[in-house]
Amino acid sequence: MLALKELLNGKVRFGLIALAVGLVVALTMLMSAMSEGLITGMTGAKGSLKADALVFQGDTQLALERSLLSAESVSAVAESPGVENAYPVGHAMISVAPAAPEEAKASGDGAGGDEASFDARLFGLGGEWEQLPRVEGEAGPPGPGEAIVDVTAQVDGIELGDTVSLTPIGRELTVVGFTENRRYIMVPTFYVDMPTWEDIYLATALGKTAEEASGQGEDLPEGSQQPPAEGISPALGGSASIVAVELSDGVSPAELEGNLGAGFEVATPEDAALAGNGMSVMVLATDGIQWVSLIIGALFIGVFFYITTLHKTGQIAAMKALGASNVYLYRQLLIQIAVLVTVAAAIGMFLSLGAGMSMPPTMAFDPQPVGWGLSLLAVYVMALVGSFFSLHTILRVDPATALDRGEH
Amino acid sequence: MALLEVQAISKRYGEGHTAVTALEQVSFALEAGQLLAVLGPSGSGKTTLLSIIAGLLHPTSGEVRVGGQSVAEAQGGGAAFRRRNVGIVFQDYHLIPYLSARENLLLVPHLDGRVRGEDRARADGLLEEFGLAPRAGHRPPMLSGGERQRVAVARALMNEPQLMLVDEPTSHLDTERGFQVVELLRAQIHGRGTTCVMVTHDERMAAHADQVIRLLDGRVVDRPATGDKDLSG
Repeated sequence: MLALKELLNGKVRFGLIALAVGLVVALTMLMSAMSEGLITGMTGAKGSLKADALVFQGDTQLALERSLLSAESVSAVAESPGVENAYPVGHAMISVAPAAPEEAKASGDGAGGDEASFDARLFGLGGEWEQLPRVEGEAGPPGPGEAIVDVTAQVDGIELGDTVSLTPIGRELTVVGFTENRRYIMVPTFYVDMPTWEDIYLATALGKTAEEASGQGEDLPEGSQQPPAEGISPALGGSASIVAVELSDGVSPAELEGNLGAGFEVATPEDAALAGNGMSVMVLATDGIQWVSLIIGALFIGVFFYITTLHKTGQIAAMKALGASNVYLYRQLLIQIAVLVTVAAAIGMFLSLGAGMSMPPTMAFDPQPVGWGLSLLAVYVMALVGSFFSLHTILRVDPATALDRGEH
Repeated sequence: MALLEVQAISKRYGEGHTAVTALEQVSFALEAGQLLAVLGPSGSGKTTLLSIIAGLLHPTSGEVRVGGQSVAEAQGGGAAFRRRNVGIVFQDYHLIPYLSARENLLLVPHLDGRVRGEDRARADGLLEEFGLAPRAGHRPPMLSGGERQRVAVARALMNEPQLMLVDEPTSHLDTERGFQVVELLRAQIHGRGTTCVMVTHDERMAAHADQVIRLLDGRVVDRPATGDKDLSG
């Protein structure tokens, strides 16, 4: 009764502090969502691969970019004890030129030029296509020369049914579907079947000049022309960057690594996602910002209620003299803090959702209920910690001062 | 049997040559329904005496008994003892500013655990009795000094205390309103059989009491102190 009455009596004062705390809550929630968004944007395609473990080439520090397993290695992994199921996964860096608008095509303006291209990642999948949540397009695996693309590519002008060019290698892919939360190193991914990946990987790895791609390669001086990708290195046929495996019950990634012997590295998709590309440092930085925000919030709430408590020591002394216990007085304080933090949490969530809705899809922003829940829980816990300032004051107030005005 | 027994109370602050004696061997007893006025100038020990009787201060020596029970050994600690047995009227009222007059009265049973229907009826009855019914919904800042004082007295009566402790009840009131409050207090005490210790520096208000003791430098003197010479008598 008392706590709520006081809150209602000081609506403006408590409202302003709730707003201020709400901004801190919004900051922590935004940081949480941005941290998640950063991780999803950086590692979504890698970390969400449907597998119990990912097998990399040895000594690559779980980096997709450096790992390459031969067809024999892929088979060895698939046949290794403890592996229930396995499928190869390929990775390559590509540049994508969106399809030219119809009017541009009609006018003869170049489409697919370097100015219009954007970076993307190519993932070849040897199965388990149902793992890609389809937000547009028909279900099912893509055919040769087709791709399922992360929806953030739409920001770069990619639409369903578009045929895009990969520069400078001159390959084309037709977009047959869109998936979501499957970016890698903050760029959209293009999912293709393994034969298509192999072709593009080889072309990318061996190189093909822009002139070749535009059909001007004949004019290059002898010796400067790089060999075309097609038909080269048949020994690499059936290779993959990594192998995603489903483990038998009770088999751990470490055991699989032991079974495979030297030349392989094994980790869960989650651990692999956080390895390399400076991910651990980035996660540390975002976690640090969240903790600083929470500590600021706790200090804010703690100092506010501490000052409020200091201002009413006379009232506290009188209530103690009337028979109020320290437990009762602290409970009233906690009720006020709980109400204020709840209002602040609602404000913070509203602001965070509003901010999230106004962000472009390419922005690293991925609110997770668990992350936000933990942020809110942390705010409550830190507010409780902040209340200890006031508890200290409550315990120190001498009820005799309600009568004593410096006289003896 | 006396309801309130104050037995050889002494209170000293500090030790050695810096020690200050606030009270020295103060003793008195009050029957149920009696009003005692404690007179004395500022710094004479009146408030210290009131605080010790309320259990807010521990005496250096001596004992206070209420209804035969030692205040120092009261079950449930001092807070529970005060909630159930003592009503206090503060000089500065100490009404909760964001509660209405009625809610200030209900604070007493609220502190004791819960507010029952009979508590609400009692609060309404006291407000009616004290002429505050039309102001029951008003908060203290909207009440006059006299009204606040009456609310404070009514609040002190909410738990039907055996003992009321009243600190300078007329210090913020003009003479006429001061008399009204003391008369009201006296009527309530006699009507309810409550024992009351009222601290005041006003001789005219003390004249309404059943007993008067005078304090000077922490000691009980048997007549008004008008100078050092008078203390010996």
